[in-house]
Amino acid sequence: MRALLAEDDGMIGEAVVSALKDASYAVDWVRDGEAACEALATHAYDIVLLDLGLSGKDGLAVLRLSRSQGAVTPVLVITARDAIDDRILGLDAGADDYIVKPFDIGELLARMRAVVRRKAGSPHPILSNGRIDLDPATHEVSFDGAPVRLTAREFALLRALLMRPGAILSRGELEDRIYGWGEEVESNAVEFLIHSLRRKLGADAIRNVRGVGWLVAKDT
Amino acid sequence: MAGRKGHVSRSLEFRLFLWLSLAIVLVAVPAGFLSYSYAFREAIELQDDQLRQMAAWTGGQRFSTPPSEVAGPTDADPESRFIVLTAEPQSPWQPEGAAPGLSANAPDGLQTVAIGGVPWRFVIGARVRGLRIAVGQQTAVRNEIANKSALRTVAPLLGLIVLLPLVIGATVRRMLRPLKSIADDLERRSEANWNEIPDVGLPLEIQPFVVAIKRLLARVAESVAVQRRFLADAAHELRSPLTALSLQAERLEGADMSAEARIRLEALRRGILRTRRLLDQLLALARAQNEPGQTQPVSFLGVLRKALEDLMPLAEAKGLDVGLLSQEDIVVRASEIDLTMLMRNLIDNAIRYTPKGGRIDLSVEIHPNGAAFRVQDTGPGVRAQDRELVFDPFHRVLGSDEYGSGLGLSIVKAVVDRLGADISLGESPGGGLEVTVTIPKTLIRNASPDRNVVGARRAAGERPKIP
Repeated sequence: MRALLAEDDGMIGEAVVSALKDASYAVDWVRDGEAACEALATHAYDIVLLDLGLSGKDGLAVLRLSRSQGAVTPVLVITARDAIDDRILGLDAGADDYIVKPFDIGELLARMRAVVRRKAGSPHPILSNGRIDLDPATHEVSFDGAPVRLTAREFALLRALLMRPGAILSRGELEDRIYGWGEEVESNAVEFLIHSLRRKLGADAIRNVRGVGWLVAKDT
Repeated sequence: MAGRKGHVSRSLEFRLFLWLSLAIVLVAVPAGFLSYSYAFREAIELQDDQLRQMAAWTGGQRFSTPPSEVAGPTDADPESRFIVLTAEPQSPWQPEGAAPGLSANAPDGLQTVAIGGVPWRFVIGARVRGLRIAVGQQTAVRNEIANKSALRTVAPLLGLIVLLPLVIGATVRRMLRPLKSIADDLERRSEANWNEIPDVGLPLEIQPFVVAIKRLLARVAESVAVQRRFLADAAHELRSPLTALSLQAERLEGADMSAEARIRLEALRRGILRTRRLLDQLLALARAQNEPGQTQPVSFLGVLRKALEDLMPLAEAKGLDVGLLSQEDIVVRASEIDLTMLMRNLIDNAIRYTPKGGRIDLSVEIHPNGAAFRVQDTGPGVRAQDRELVFDPFHRVLGSDEYGSGLGLSIVKAVVDRLGADISLGESPGGGLEVTVTIPKTLIRNASPDRNVVGARRAAGERPKIP
């Protein structure tokens, strides 16, 4: 995979380039806007990492120019400004995602993978938080690699929680996901399902926030 | 008491009233005395003329009996008591002994003569066939009449002295009313809308004052804005070098190194993490003080839940029991970012200062004047005398080894001020800190969940109604 890094800060550029090389990317590094435009015009990239605060021509201008020429290469914007307007401006100009300084290499690589995947039209089918894997297509669930058998409602509840690991879902929301319209909701259904899921996946698998709802822990 | 006195004497209203009243008294009193004395003298002269006319009239009569007192001494009205005397040329006045002080050869004209120790005023004249006639009246009676008439002249002036200060007081107060209303207006205004102070339609004398105040406020606002921009810019500028530093430290982890070096590296990375957090908080504070985010109806519980999602890993790492005691949601007209900052910092603060295994209770209580958002923890709490100080940036609770940024509560305070809400600190039932944010009724749009409200759908967690 070939990546273009447009970053004018020497130390950041150097660190990102070597990290990307370690992650098996072929990296071209340019340090100003003009050079970025030139590189984009002459080479084909799988992903572009674009710092908005470039000298010469700023990142937004590079992005607009590139998009106006019909380029569809995924672009991940790097910005030191986290004001909402700046982000919206970047996304409106055609960026696929943004990452705010300071960031970790791990986070950068994850975002890059997600952007490329989304652009390629093949979102990862498996829902996972690192310990629990759930395949929505085959209805297969595994915990620490060992397959687990779930009922249809247990599966629906777990899928709802695994859609966004770390997000808290209230009882009402969980009921929404496991019952169809017009179906009678049994009063303790959610507690009952969570109890049986904990028995199969371990007590820690699904956590409760008193008075708010339930969540599965985020991938750490 | 002295302060109150000083306050009164410095009042423009009081001074205007005092000096105008004094001026009126100073002019009115001499004027009154002058009028009185003129009127008095006039009245005396009038009575002299009256005596002369009386003498002339009496002289025209043929006396069958020697004339004596026209009116008897027993007459009830002393003002009408006159004495009429007659005398042949070179002979004493008849009746004999009525006016012993009046000499027989007294010249024609006016004379004051004492009768029995009481002064009388006589007119001698009107010789009718050689008969001399004198008409007299008691001086005291005359003076009394003159006095009464003079007083009647002065009376309106006295009325003026009493009434004018009242009129002046009312007028002065009325004239100075714009000043008071401007002061009240200024008092009510916040930092945000001082620019809308009206400077047209004011009294001419006050207008330059208001214009000058506005100009001064503009300069102050400008310099405050420069300071805040500097804070935001500095924090932003620090981000790139910090990114470089943290990326390099992260890279270092992949290198071969001794176990000791690895421990040091871990400490270094923790330090970088603290710096990152401080920087984020600085930016958050700059933002809370600067741009007011766009306001819209926001579900309070929705935002609270998002804040909790971000902070639960921290709470779980310390084994804290975090929970929400209430179920009711409110819809607040505010910036979602502001509300998120508010709750995240309050909960983060509670998590940081509550010891392992502690408990944090959150609640939203709706009351007639608005709503109260409460965060109660089982941490060490804040001493009553420190409760104002903890809102200052970089204030740190003594004896605490917690590495906070020192900005959390400053950010909360900035957001609370911007919202127009109120914050107070107290002691929680568990002996820790209890923070109460009171949201005024005016900010609360709707207490029932509304599908169009940001986050309400998720917060309320309701099933969609079956069509």
